[in-house]
Amino acid sequence: MNTKRSNNLTLFCIFIFVTALMSIFLPSHFMTGRNFASMGRQFPEYGLLSLANMLAMVTGGIDLSVVSIASLAGVISASFLAHYATLGMSTAAIILIGVVIALAVSLLCGLLNGLIIAYARVPAIIATLGTQGLFLGISIIITKGAGIGGFPPDFLFIGNGALFGVPMQFIIFIVVALLVGLVLTRTPQGFSMLMYGSSPLASRFSGINNERVIINTYMLSGLLAGVSSLIIISGVNSIRPGYGVDYLLLSVLIAVLGGTDVAGGFGSVLGVTLAIFIMQALQSGLNILGFSPFFKKFIWGFLLILVMIFHYYRRMYGQRRIIRKAAGLQL
Amino acid sequence: MKTGIFKRNEFYLLLVIVVFGAAITIVNPAFLTVENMFDLIRSSSGMAILAVGFFVVLLSGGIDLSFPAVAIVAQYITVNAIIALGIDNLWLAFAISSVIGIAFGAVNAFFISFFKIPTMIATLATMNIFHGLLLEFVGTKSINVGQLPHCFTNFGLTNLFTLARPDGSTYGLSVFFAVLVGVVLVTWVILRFTVMGRAIYAMGGNMEAVRRSGFNIRRTQFFIYCYVGLLASIMGIIHVSLIRYSNPTYIIDSDMMHVIAAVVLGGASILGGSGTLTGTILGVIMISLLEKNLVLLGLSSYWQQFFVGLILVLGISITHIQKRIQGRRSLALARE
Repeated sequence: MNTKRSNNLTLFCIFIFVTALMSIFLPSHFMTGRNFASMGRQFPEYGLLSLANMLAMVTGGIDLSVVSIASLAGVISASFLAHYATLGMSTAAIILIGVVIALAVSLLCGLLNGLIIAYARVPAIIATLGTQGLFLGISIIITKGAGIGGFPPDFLFIGNGALFGVPMQFIIFIVVALLVGLVLTRTPQGFSMLMYGSSPLASRFSGINNERVIINTYMLSGLLAGVSSLIIISGVNSIRPGYGVDYLLLSVLIAVLGGTDVAGGFGSVLGVTLAIFIMQALQSGLNILGFSPFFKKFIWGFLLILVMIFHYYRRMYGQRRIIRKAAGLQL
Repeated sequence: MKTGIFKRNEFYLLLVIVVFGAAITIVNPAFLTVENMFDLIRSSSGMAILAVGFFVVLLSGGIDLSFPAVAIVAQYITVNAIIALGIDNLWLAFAISSVIGIAFGAVNAFFISFFKIPTMIATLATMNIFHGLLLEFVGTKSINVGQLPHCFTNFGLTNLFTLARPDGSTYGLSVFFAVLVGVVLVTWVILRFTVMGRAIYAMGGNMEAVRRSGFNIRRTQFFIYCYVGLLASIMGIIHVSLIRYSNPTYIIDSDMMHVIAAVVLGGASILGGSGTLTGTILGVIMISLLEKNLVLLGLSSYWQQFFVGLILVLGISITHIQKRIQGRRSLALARE
């Protein structure tokens, strides 16, 4: 509990530091309503993927298929939505069906991941690496590699609209993040996930249905990718398989940056959300400063290494403190 | 007991390859010709070399995602260096590229061994660091055939021996095959006959046991990642000699998945400690057959990604389920 709070505090300080730095260097560009609105529009699509990976990591796994799930859910939903003019249904019904299709497809993808990991006992990293190719492959077959576009104008509200000046996707992200937080901290499923992540054996012996937990976890992470796909397709009014390939690294990076233990057993929605804000502030700042996307790639990688080194030293320090405490007790 | 399972795994893979090959031959008799086989070897040698490198990492219980980036960075810098130096020499090219590959491998090993960063996370990060640095500071312009030094194009066209077609023109077995055989032999000798090789196998089994039995883990890790870097850099040179074009922005993501699929299909456990080189090579054959011959079976190239994914998912699921059943059976036997 203590480490959790201190971790989030550290992240918050980093966020303030990055924001302050950007404001000092870019006084007329960074601290503007327009910049904040555009940041609020950019991060939800990959923010949701980061939350998805955090959930998988909590159980000691990883979900490398999130981007492909978003791609497949988007493509299937898009191929329905794009025919809205000829379907002869009311717009509301079409949008509702489109949303349901995307979410159902993503749930099914997650279910497949979960089944492979839980019952075939394939390590998550290799199972999701395989399904990543599979899902992307299916979306390429459906579209023949091309893009699909042209959705009902009202549908575009999800990715372009705003409520009281707040971008719609930002609201969706906050609501989903809160729900994920509730699941993780207030439900048996969340508790079982943390238990399983700490020790699969202990969780089995305490009567938890491990297979069930794993399947739920990957369905949940698939569902988050599905929500992300809706934001993506309505934001640009089209979808192309292979969109957002870079998001995979970014989502893993953000989950780790947010303090999630890659070995399982710990993860915090607040931490991941703070990490998302840090990355977005950094990214916007670098964009305004005119850095190339290549340099951003370098920064991401560099940051990931730095965070891991930081974790290493904190762990070492923590262990020493425990040993010292234990030694003190003996005296 | 263990070797029995893996022999069977390789046997099945061989069976699938034979069946698949037969199917292609029935549809298109042009498949089973010496010329086509030579062509297949020429175009998949690079992938096979990467697979051998990845296999070694996997054996030790690690995962290296940075090798495609290392290959492309080593390739692009080497080609640029050869152009800038004006010395059109293949050996120099290999030397430059090897130094780069080994250096990058050492960077990976440094993060992994000194800060205990999980190998996958560390190499995911360095992949982006290497590639980002290349594009930001070296350049983003591709080098095409016209600018490419002759040593590369000549290397790509060199054959070990040539055969004549009925019409008098010739075709041959590419020299890439010799490089591949060399790499496989060296790796086999290292794994089979050296202490280093034993340490690599043991690390995949139980890290603590390795530490207690006095192996130098840090040195082994440096060896593993430098070796993978070296193999990736060799592949970089072969790649540019094959396609006669060097594009620095091209990061071979799908190729990476194919390599991993090949190695895992070959029976190497993702958790380390088990697997054979024979399996890896069979896995590479399977994947490259699939990659290059779906079109012959009348399926458009859009199906390629799907099939590689499907084969990977099915292959690993079956292997793991088999292992579970085997485990249960031996448990039951022990009870009796």
